[in-house]
Amino acid sequence: MDEHPDAPLVEEARHGSREAFTALVRRHERRIYSLALRMAGNAADADDLAQEVFLTAWRAIGSFRSGSSFYTWLYRIAVNASLTFLKKRGREKGRAPFDENLAVSVAGRGPASGPERDSAARELSARIDEAVAALPAHFRASFALVVDQGLSHAEAARVLGCSENTVSWRMHKARKLLRARVKPYLEEVRP
Amino acid sequence: MRCGTARRRISDDLDGALAARRRARLDAHLRTCPACRTYREALGRMQAGVLKPAAPPAEFWAGFERRLQAKLDGAGEGRRPAIGSLVILRRWAWAAGAAVLLAGGVLWYALFRPVMPVTGTWAAYDDVLDPIVRAAEANPELAARIDGEIRASIEEMVPARDEEGALLPAADPLFWEGLSDDELEAVVRGLENETGRGGPK
Repeated sequence: MDEHPDAPLVEEARHGSREAFTALVRRHERRIYSLALRMAGNAADADDLAQEVFLTAWRAIGSFRSGSSFYTWLYRIAVNASLTFLKKRGREKGRAPFDENLAVSVAGRGPASGPERDSAARELSARIDEAVAALPAHFRASFALVVDQGLSHAEAARVLGCSENTVSWRMHKARKLLRARVKPYLEEVRP
Repeated sequence: MRCGTARRRISDDLDGALAARRRARLDAHLRTCPACRTYREALGRMQAGVLKPAAPPAEFWAGFERRLQAKLDGAGEGRRPAIGSLVILRRWAWAAGAAVLLAGGVLWYALFRPVMPVTGTWAAYDDVLDPIVRAAEANPELAARIDGEIRASIEEMVPARDEEGALLPAADPLFWEGLSDDELEAVVRGLENETGRGGPK
């Protein structure tokens, strides 16, 4: 990823250009919304969160240090807003219901060998989605940044304000917890 | 390489965060450890099954941007101005001034601080508490209010509990961050038992 592709727009937005900020919103809104949806678990809250993220960014962009990475800064606002939101709503105990209409498969899945296998794969994906929603919030944030958004451990560490080693541990622990929750379904899709 | 280390390396490898030297050691371990090979296959299947939320349709984004623009219209007053080099210099000047004042205050306090007898502090507390205790003994309503205040302040310090009164350590992020591999294994075994009963029919 280019280190500072947003720099010219950010510089204009820092000095009050709404047009430049709107261009930045268009560039990043999908990724921020996707992160918010993973963290919040439903579309309505994700929408509110994404709006809040950009509103906070507009208010604070004057204090953004040129030379830093804008998307890292924006992701950091999004993660902090999501964690505050989850804490406020006390939803850590609960789990968002899985909505099949909001999800599509991403990674390269192996060729299906029949309708039963397809059905088992869909069931597995649904269970994984539920299990991700049930992860502790900081693990879920790491998972969302690394797996959903494709950030490296180093980039995720910059967003989360921790070390690469911490991100590595969180991913390892998150995967162990996920595997434990979906183990019976993993057996069903064994090649 | 121990299996615990190998499994963490497998996770790093899935994220593209494993250095070549470590991958060579991991590969060597996997050639001799069927359990870790099974673990890697399972994580690979799981990774392939991860769903990413689909992007909403184009009309959603038009509405999203419209609503955001309306909010931005009303956000002008709370907006922080861009920080220029002059502002940064001014901040440093304020910080230096504050540091000089603080150092002066500390020096003055060290040289001229008033010496108070320790017993005086206790006597002051007694003077305040005694009338309150006497008033509470004479007035059950006041006593109940004081009791309520004390209980509320204790409850604020006690960790969250569920409906049955059990502590909820899982609600604390530090609980998860601090789990050792062995402790995590215990949690994982519990989850496997739980999901094993509710698995696919």
